[in-house]
Amino acid sequence: MGTTASQLRKDLLSEYQVVMHVFFRAHKRFSELLSKEDRNVPTPRVPMEKVLSLPELKSNPFRKRICHVFSTSDMKDGSLTFEDFLDLLSAFSDSATLEIKSHYAFRIFDFDDDGTLDGGDLEKLVNCLTGETDDTRLTTEEMRQLISNILEESDIDKDGTVNLSEFQHVISRSPDFVRSVQI
Amino acid sequence: MEFSELQRPSSTIAQQLVRLRSKSVVSNQNGPQFNWGSPPSEGGEEGDSGPPKDLRERPMTMRLKRAIREVQQMRVPVVTRWQSWKRSKAKSLSRFRTDAGGVMSYVALWRKALHKIGGHFGGGVQSYFMFLRFLVVLNFLSFLLIAGFILIPSIVFRSTSTRNMTVDSTGPEVCKVYDPNLQGLVVFYQYFLDLLSGTGFMEYSYMFYGYYNNTVAESSGFHYNLPLAYLLTSVFYFAFCLICIIARMGSALRVAVATGSGAAGSYSKMVFTGWDYGCQGDRATKLKQKSIHYQLQVDLEEERLQKKALSLTLGQTVGLCSLRIFLMLISLALIGGAFFGIFKATVFSQVQVGAEGILGLFWVYLPSIVITTGNFVVPFMCDQIALFERYSPSTTIIVALFRSVFLRMISLGVLLFTLWSQITCFKDSPKCELCQYNNKEYPCWETRVGQEMYKLALFDFLITIAMLILVEFPRRLFVDHYSCVLTRWVGRQEFLVPPNVLGLVYGQTVVWTGALFCPLLPLINTLKFFILFYCKKVTLFSNCRPAVKTFRSTTSTIFFLVVLLFGWGLALVAMIYSLAQIHPSMSCGPFRSLTMMWSIVPNTFYTLSLTTQDFIFYMGSQAFSIPLFIFSCVVLCYVAALATVYGKSVDLLKAQLKLEGRDKQFLVKQIEELSREMGVPTRDQLDTFDTGAAN
Repeated sequence: MGTTASQLRKDLLSEYQVVMHVFFRAHKRFSELLSKEDRNVPTPRVPMEKVLSLPELKSNPFRKRICHVFSTSDMKDGSLTFEDFLDLLSAFSDSATLEIKSHYAFRIFDFDDDGTLDGGDLEKLVNCLTGETDDTRLTTEEMRQLISNILEESDIDKDGTVNLSEFQHVISRSPDFVRSVQI
Repeated sequence: MEFSELQRPSSTIAQQLVRLRSKSVVSNQNGPQFNWGSPPSEGGEEGDSGPPKDLRERPMTMRLKRAIREVQQMRVPVVTRWQSWKRSKAKSLSRFRTDAGGVMSYVALWRKALHKIGGHFGGGVQSYFMFLRFLVVLNFLSFLLIAGFILIPSIVFRSTSTRNMTVDSTGPEVCKVYDPNLQGLVVFYQYFLDLLSGTGFMEYSYMFYGYYNNTVAESSGFHYNLPLAYLLTSVFYFAFCLICIIARMGSALRVAVATGSGAAGSYSKMVFTGWDYGCQGDRATKLKQKSIHYQLQVDLEEERLQKKALSLTLGQTVGLCSLRIFLMLISLALIGGAFFGIFKATVFSQVQVGAEGILGLFWVYLPSIVITTGNFVVPFMCDQIALFERYSPSTTIIVALFRSVFLRMISLGVLLFTLWSQITCFKDSPKCELCQYNNKEYPCWETRVGQEMYKLALFDFLITIAMLILVEFPRRLFVDHYSCVLTRWVGRQEFLVPPNVLGLVYGQTVVWTGALFCPLLPLINTLKFFILFYCKKVTLFSNCRPAVKTFRSTTSTIFFLVVLLFGWGLALVAMIYSLAQIHPSMSCGPFRSLTMMWSIVPNTFYTLSLTTQDFIFYMGSQAFSIPLFIFSCVVLCYVAALATVYGKSVDLLKAQLKLEGRDKQFLVKQIEELSREMGVPTRDQLDTFDTGAAN
């Protein structure tokens, strides 16, 4: 803990305090995930498997998507630096606003990363929600009915996909959302 | 994109088109637009400190935020000293507020337990425990109120009883006879029976109304009128509870009204906001997934049923309606039967006063027993009836809830009505001629009413504990260790939120009704609910499986508080009737010298100075109250108009979203046409170009 603390310069520290909410505890959790040799690297990167071992994420059906969304790695392997980790914790904290949470939730649900939620994204989303095994999935008929209902309710410009503004419009009518997107 | 740019070589155009295509799909929706030119002092859109809050609201990566902050810090804002002082004060105030909020939430009662409950069992069960916590705090504060104004002065005056005056009541001597049966040596188990029924050593104590004197303490400038304090504290206690409930309902209602009815958009809401990221552990996750699956299936099926119901023929609809009316009449008859039973039991129990031993205890507790039995049996039978009514599942729940609320509240009301009719003898006038109340059977009737309420509260608590020990734990042991068809069908206990909440509301209504006659009842209730929290938590974690059908938490909070208001209204009616209609006992209590409890207020009022009297008369006169009424009407109309305007602006914005989508598609089509005319590769051709390049 001593070596990693000295790596953070004083000016960076004050900046983090201005911009982030929970800082010191987050750093402790992050350095627990690092392996011994990574600790002395200037910007250490935790591989996705280690991040997925966190108790809060271990059984979350969206864990892989969460890692991909917050990762800034060029190789798209879902690894997180400390800054990415802070972004993740901040977005899921209880003081993050509805705008931040809905923005990140949209990106998490966008399985093919094309900026909109189309039928394929919605189907994968529903399967994550109900469970991946065969006996917990909805039947094809029910899935079709459900997706057409969702698109009818939330697709305002009728282009067959749900974009961010339409998503945020649906979210704004749900008062439980801010409390449920919390780790 | 301007026409001049089209003059450039085609590769640059191609690059720009690629950028345009990706931008139109990704950036406007994913990249938040940040005005890099905005000076850092413009963060005051919410009236808070500038740059930190503004940056925190933005969903951007850390690197971006740091870069923006560097840019902002390079620009030196030109502000006056006054503005910079104001801003630094605002910053420290907001930091202080967040710190205070952190400390308060740390100190808050049962914070960790509630969090754990919410994580394992969902928002609906958690809202029940939060409601319970609210009631504990409310009762405790009420007890502090009562202790401060009634209990402690009473204790002080009793111990220094020399200089105080007590006014003797006027009236026939026989009415003033009250012997609360202070025996010296009693059988040892008599103490236990007295504890359960509030008689004996408990009757003539601070517990009940009869012990308080109508002392008016006067000493060197200090004047304390105990009867007036008693009355005003009771009235203020009701007002205090009302304010707390309305304040708590306010925030939830605001959100509910703003988001509109929950029916529209329910599928998207369920899918987009259904997942609780606080769920930890494989078991909780699987349970949550199962519950979401069940919810979706039920809703989809309900929609299919609704479509089928719309296609019913006229004859079938008429048949269904008549069946429903018939079953509704049956359930009303059941409830009416329960009321009649309670009435008879109360009359019988009052007649049997004076019986000894366990049998005497049984007669004394008879009304409570009948009410509790009715509260178990009648909803169960109504549920069986509801199976035939063939409402949709959500309507069935609401109908069942309202039936239970009706049953519980009105059964308590019937009990009170029976008691009151006994005390003021509606039917037998000769008994009440002498003292205006039935002094033979009720020498101190307020204490008797207080005892009834005390017994109700205690019995309710004992029954809950008994159910826990005798039904829920054995059920779990039975289900876990034997597996046969019966156990699989019965299964583990499910923690049903609505019946539990109704139990809490019933308990609280009993306390409100009895607080005037038994001032220590809020304290007893605080302890009762405090112990109940731990008992319910233990049974939740050991015996219950999570409900598959979950209760939505914000609408359920509003529902709980509305039902609590029903109970409050009932207690208010009882209190007003006691204050204003019934002659107080002449033998005991702080109001023994008055013809009506309320008359202490006018009596004291006329002892005030003339100017104060004139002022208060003016406040009540028409010259003041009519302008006040008109003013509040104006405010109401303004607020209602504001609400309609917001609704209209929501519709306008939705229409604007639609138009913007169409505009975007139109522009992209235009660009494609133009680029085709110019001989530049179009979007589709670029696609093949990209994949070709990748290969």
